[in-house]
Amino acid sequence: MGAIEVDQFVGRPAQQVWQALTDPDLLARWLMPNDFKPVVGHQFTFRTEPVPQHGFDGIVHCQVLALDPPQLLRISWRGGTLDTTVTWRLVPEGTGTRLLITHDGFDDTDPAQQEAMRILGGGWRGHLAGRILSVLDEATHEGGG
Amino acid sequence: MPDADVFDAIASPVRRAILDLLRGGARPVHDVAASFSMTRPAVSQHLKVLRQAGLVAEERIGRERHYRLDARPLRTVVDWAGHYERFWQHHARLLGELLEGSE
Repeated sequence: MGAIEVDQFVGRPAQQVWQALTDPDLLARWLMPNDFKPVVGHQFTFRTEPVPQHGFDGIVHCQVLALDPPQLLRISWRGGTLDTTVTWRLVPEGTGTRLLITHDGFDDTDPAQQEAMRILGGGWRGHLAGRILSVLDEATHEGGG
Repeated sequence: MPDADVFDAIASPVRRAILDLLRGGARPVHDVAASFSMTRPAVSQHLKVLRQAGLVAEERIGRERHYRLDARPLRTVVDWAGHYERFWQHHARLLGELLEGSE
């Protein structure tokens, strides 16, 4: 099963990045309004715009699963059809911090999520997906659609 | 969420391979069958699923039916798959800007 992995270098020490992850006001400024508390087991929500066509009412239901300052934060992430997990890892790098974000736990039994993850997650992206995507680009140029 | 038909269509490795083959241009059924050492009815069945998903179009050339790739429905699959990746990339950048912009 694939996962979404994103990494971002932040030119600030891990302690400051940790604060941006775990202070609800700071968290709201770069992610979404929330009632987060840095306590394992705490249940909270993020609130954003609903996306009715994805069956998403705009509320992400979360729970703090793991907390290891200033290195690791893991929360559950449930909203719309998703029942997933998001993990942030902080790795000191020079005078800054490498922030690694992993969004995983996509549903193996939902063909749509499975296929989407396969496309994103490796096997397909490097192999057939690369070629399919180049076809898409050609089709877009030719067909205007 | 994209059309379930498209996901069903590309869930099969054989059908993905057929799509890949058709990148080279339109082909008649027997040509596709020969490429996969499959019987014509088996290939026709796969082509039918692909056609219903809008991934393959049929065109008549002389007395033969040729099958042509139309990759456009895959756009929705790719868009959906990329949604969460873009979401996190975007917000990770915002986090960086928030911290780096403050002294």
